[in-house]
Amino acid sequence: MSPKNLAWPAAVLAVAAAGLLSLAVGTRAVPLSAVLDALLHGGGSPDALVVRSLRVPRTEVGLTAGAALGLAGAALQAVTRNPLADPGILGLSQGAAAGVVLALSFGLANGFGGYVWYAFAGAVVAACLVYGIAVRGRGGASPVKLALAGTALSAMTAGGTTVVLTSSSATLDQFRFWQVGALSGRDAGTVVDMLPFLLAGAVLVLACARGLDALALGDETARALGHRVQLVRGVAALGATLLTAAAVAAAGPIAFVGLAVPHLARRLVSGGHRAVLPLSALLGAALLVGADVAGRVVRAPAEVPAGVMTALVGVPVLVVLVRRRGTAS
Amino acid sequence: MKGDRRWGWPGVGGAARRRRGAAFCGSGAAPGGTIARGLRGTAPAARGLTAGHTLLRPHPRVSLLLHRRSAAVSAALLVLLAAVMLASACLGQTYVSPAEVWHTLRTGSGPYDLIVGELRVPRIVVGALVGAALGLSGALVQSVTRNPLASPDVIGVGHGAAAATVLALSTGMVASPSAMPVISVAGGLAAAALVYVLAWRHGMQPNRFVLTGVGIGVALSAIVQLYLTDSELEAAEQIKLWLTGSLNGRGWEQAGPLAVVLLLCLPALVWAGRALRPLGLDPDTAAALGVRVDRVRLGLTVLGVVLAATATGAAGPIGFVALTSPQLARRLTRTPQLPLLCSALTGAFVLVAADLAARTLLPPLEIPVGALTSLVGGPYLLWLLGRRTATR
Repeated sequence: MSPKNLAWPAAVLAVAAAGLLSLAVGTRAVPLSAVLDALLHGGGSPDALVVRSLRVPRTEVGLTAGAALGLAGAALQAVTRNPLADPGILGLSQGAAAGVVLALSFGLANGFGGYVWYAFAGAVVAACLVYGIAVRGRGGASPVKLALAGTALSAMTAGGTTVVLTSSSATLDQFRFWQVGALSGRDAGTVVDMLPFLLAGAVLVLACARGLDALALGDETARALGHRVQLVRGVAALGATLLTAAAVAAAGPIAFVGLAVPHLARRLVSGGHRAVLPLSALLGAALLVGADVAGRVVRAPAEVPAGVMTALVGVPVLVVLVRRRGTAS
Repeated sequence: MKGDRRWGWPGVGGAARRRRGAAFCGSGAAPGGTIARGLRGTAPAARGLTAGHTLLRPHPRVSLLLHRRSAAVSAALLVLLAAVMLASACLGQTYVSPAEVWHTLRTGSGPYDLIVGELRVPRIVVGALVGAALGLSGALVQSVTRNPLASPDVIGVGHGAAAATVLALSTGMVASPSAMPVISVAGGLAAAALVYVLAWRHGMQPNRFVLTGVGIGVALSAIVQLYLTDSELEAAEQIKLWLTGSLNGRGWEQAGPLAVVLLLCLPALVWAGRALRPLGLDPDTAAALGVRVDRVRLGLTVLGVVLAATATGAAGPIGFVALTSPQLARRLTRTPQLPLLCSALTGAFVLVAADLAARTLLPPLEIPVGALTSLVGGPYLLWLLGRRTATR
């Protein structure tokens, strides 16, 4: 088998390994046999309780958020034709942050469960604004206009949230723990709440895979090949928005997964977006959960949040990739 | 610098030389009006040589090609900057009339010496210098990366400064984030150097540079985030305020080093004004014209990073000024490349005006100026987007 074909089993293995480790590793180490036992039979032992009530929800959030971020990142990079595109670029992370800050400062939400819907709404509103702004004027929503509008809106909302955060210490006190992007303390309902959006987003993005391949050739070529460029771009962006908004709402603004995973996926497989998109989802899930596991080990018994770990683990990978990519880009 | 002669494009050299004089006046925040006097003293000797330019012959052996619109815009920006600086000295919780401000400045005494002489004027000067440095560094970095969305932050300066500050705070080396410009400058320089080294591979390629910079920035900001969640709330608030960028409590001790750095950079800026031009072409064409593209890029990047790091050390990482000033300036001058002088003036104007607004909008609360520049810079970028007819 060529290395390209090995990518799929390797990615699946990585996801499975990360998931199992996430259930077993932590302040209280649980042997793998006990993990399986707890999963299959339940039971009332302390190990089973830890696994079922704490680690399973956490791992679920990690797997879904990671997969969503990887998938959304790959789609956004194709839509904006920008290798730097990530959830931040369309203003999604900042929109979600603004939603959380608003909810906190008006006392609307308490605890992580309370933030979720405000974060989701903030991200969706931000994405709608960005698309609405970019679509005006001649040429429709071109990649550059999307990126610019996203950056502009991000900066604006960041300014607004900073004004609130520097004047209200109570808000900052809660917000900083959301912003760092951690998987700990998520309740099991989060994933269930977000599942419809995640599924819808995934279906929309995957349906556009061929169109995204064509977009890479440029708008005119894509049009000549029979693709409706604006439709493809709109649907893919909508799907990516749903995915990202749900992931950010569930896990906080986790940097880097959406940025780096698609680069890795494109190196590992050929075959266009029909291969790159699913592989990005797998790799994103493995990366986020793996980073979460690493974060529990590095500074035990304290934890390094997953958002910090993804950055610290992923950046060297990104740098190596960027250096190896040669001069073409 | 040796390469200068070989670029010898007809007309370009003259214009660059004109820019050289102009850059001198603006970056040092020298007395306004120097440029205007220079213009009036040199009557145009010829018109219509190059569209939009005027040939100046102040001396039989010196000929300058002046971009008329750039000169007019520079003069207008200087007037605006002077006006907003004056307004900033007058307005605040206590109103001081312009006459009183002038009196206080001239004599260094009087009832308003504390407010105007010791609080407002140093702060205004720091604001103008920081803004000018940011505008310049933005123009340099955007020219090198050929990316209108790039800014010194993209190549790691702001994040490096923040991470160095946070590390110094958490190891107990210093007590307060604003008390350590040296560490933040060093952090900014180190981060940018790291990005440059990591992105270097058989030469410098702009996309790789930006991509590496974004990656390193993410890692560094993760360290800051970790500190924010680890530390006590009070320390977190303090660092958050510093991270936003603020001119509050800044004075001559910040202005001094910044002014010195800007002055020391002047010769390099003069070179940069000229060296920027061929970078607008694609690298192969520039190389065919005799430009050592990699060296020029390195020089311009170092210059931009030094300016941005010094500005960050003085006021914290103030967002958006470096990003928008060059773009705004270029739309005003309508030159093909980013104009250095006008970028500096625009940056200074934007920052002083933003600080004035930050002080006076919600009294007695003071908004950090960095938050305000983001709030204002966002809509500006949107407006730009709405106006833009062609996509780049």
